[in-house]
Amino acid sequence: MSSAFSAILSNAVAGMTPLLLAAMGGLFTELAGSLNIALEGLMMTGAFAGIVAAHLSSSPAIGVLTGLAATALVAWVYGIITIGLKANIFITGLAVNIFAAGLTAVLSQQFFKTKSVLAFSLAEPARPFARLAALPIVGPMLFGHTWFVYLAWILTFAGWVILFKSTYGMRLRATGSNPKALIILGKNPETYVAQSIVISGLYCALAGMSLSFPLSAFVPNISAGRGWVALVAIYLGAKKPAAIAAACFVFALAESYSNFAQGSLKIPSEFILAIPYIVTLLALISGALARRLSDRK
Amino acid sequence: MSIDKQGMNTREGFKIIIFTLTVSVLLTLVLLGAFASSFPDAVTAFFVRPLTNRYFFGNLLAAAIPLMIAGLGIAFAFSSSNFNLGGEGQIYAGALAAVLAARTGGTNPLAIQMLALLAASIIGAVLGGISGLLKRNLRVDELLSSFLISGITVYSVDFLIAGPLRDTSSNFMTTAAIPANSAFLKIYPPSNLSTALFLALAAVITGKFIMDRTRIGFELKIAGANREFAQYAGIGASASTILPMVLSGALHGFSGGILIFGTYFKAMRGFSAGIGWSAIAVSLIAKNNPLGLIPAAFFYAYLEAGSKSVMLGANISSEIVLIIQSAVLILITATRVPLARLVSNRNQHKKEGKR
Repeated sequence: MSSAFSAILSNAVAGMTPLLLAAMGGLFTELAGSLNIALEGLMMTGAFAGIVAAHLSSSPAIGVLTGLAATALVAWVYGIITIGLKANIFITGLAVNIFAAGLTAVLSQQFFKTKSVLAFSLAEPARPFARLAALPIVGPMLFGHTWFVYLAWILTFAGWVILFKSTYGMRLRATGSNPKALIILGKNPETYVAQSIVISGLYCALAGMSLSFPLSAFVPNISAGRGWVALVAIYLGAKKPAAIAAACFVFALAESYSNFAQGSLKIPSEFILAIPYIVTLLALISGALARRLSDRK
Repeated sequence: MSIDKQGMNTREGFKIIIFTLTVSVLLTLVLLGAFASSFPDAVTAFFVRPLTNRYFFGNLLAAAIPLMIAGLGIAFAFSSSNFNLGGEGQIYAGALAAVLAARTGGTNPLAIQMLALLAASIIGAVLGGISGLLKRNLRVDELLSSFLISGITVYSVDFLIAGPLRDTSSNFMTTAAIPANSAFLKIYPPSNLSTALFLALAAVITGKFIMDRTRIGFELKIAGANREFAQYAGIGASASTILPMVLSGALHGFSGGILIFGTYFKAMRGFSAGIGWSAIAVSLIAKNNPLGLIPAAFFYAYLEAGSKSVMLGANISSEIVLIIQSAVLILITATRVPLARLVSNRNQHKKEGKR
């Protein structure tokens, strides 16, 4: 039992990584005043570009850099189209999701002659603290993971510092809450919106690669709704990084538990796949209920 | 700023449509040039075969049918500022409900159709309505809730089709078929085009009438334009939130039922995937105007037919259509303001030059 318990916790810590990275990316755009529904497509772009470049160059580092660059490029175009052409960010975001699904499938077919799973034989991502994993209780839970997990924590902290402790972050947040103040300062709010979209692209690129690199494969729809779950985590975490991380952990725990339950309780796989959606919906509803109760007081 | 919203005149709108069409055709040519093994063959297959080949042309028209009906569902939701992103699940569940209702033992084809389409609409309405209720009572964002409910629905329907409702005599993951005599009449064999086309056109025209000529439509549009004003005007939250979500869900469910009676006759696993997202795009292209849904749906179906056609023999993934569609989506909405301005500026320069 205790080994199962620690396995569930350990998988939850690993599983929260893409959610947390995507949610932190989404937080930048959210605070700059726009709902970024393209997280899903940006994750897919990063997952694909990263793993394919790593395979072609036989270098994970080049893969990661390419994944970041490709996703930043898509995000940049998404940003300039949205801002420069005054398009609705909801529609352009939808277009990014459709575009990413299309481009990854077309490129897969073109270069690997398949639209389904692209399996590569890359080495597993490094596990920097693997030696400490032997520690009792906390060892496997905290130290056995790939570097993506620790990078996600660092970037969550960095995101918090940038957004809430720096002048840049204050201006970025003002873009969402009080753009006129920025204009008075002589700053252009649109610059901050554009930058927030590119930053969200970089976070999402890592989120996507944290899925494809450990698998050493790209699977169509690899993000599997995580971009949307990340949006709910931002909302439930009331736009505070620590609370967002907590929400991501709860979602990941539910997923990790259901994966475990599938093995032992023989639950149909469709319900396992539905569990992230169910838990996220329930969390969304209970968050709204709690908010309503506290409003009444 | 008024040009931003609805104030753009038809001529500017027309120019933007021409511009979007031109750019999307150019983009298609570039993509075919980059990916197809034989460029001329691919171009013929993409642009010409869907229009000249009877089978492809009929299927093109058939593919536009669910896009029109579900697109109307999106138009009702979007024009009242309700974001229904649950179309995928609503269509899929509607289709399954239609199959189940059709197989309850009736013998009169018309009665079977009506019962099944009613069941399909009801399940869609319930799914959409939940998001409406959550929004009105708890202020839960309907964009997120409808998407999440749709995810749950899709996996549940997947489970039902692969498990308890599976037709074990088939090698495929599918339910049993509806009674053969209850299907819509084919009107353009060998294609899948059926009398459902007339139902779709009727639905779109009725939608236009409701939106422009009835109190309900008027209230929806006011709520969409300015929710606060709508409240002062005495339009309740139910009318501006729940009703559009229910209507939107019902139309999505209905389109799922239509898919069964017109084209598929049984619910196969994942058979309707993507239609909900396409319907959103179609409605955005039509700027939520029901009559605009007709050309928008045909255009979208044309792109899909072209990409399916080019896949045969050209060794190119049919997902090429997604890239083109995303460009169309951006162009048709993004070019509204700046392009109109560009064009009118240029015309002014011309006039000034003539002087």
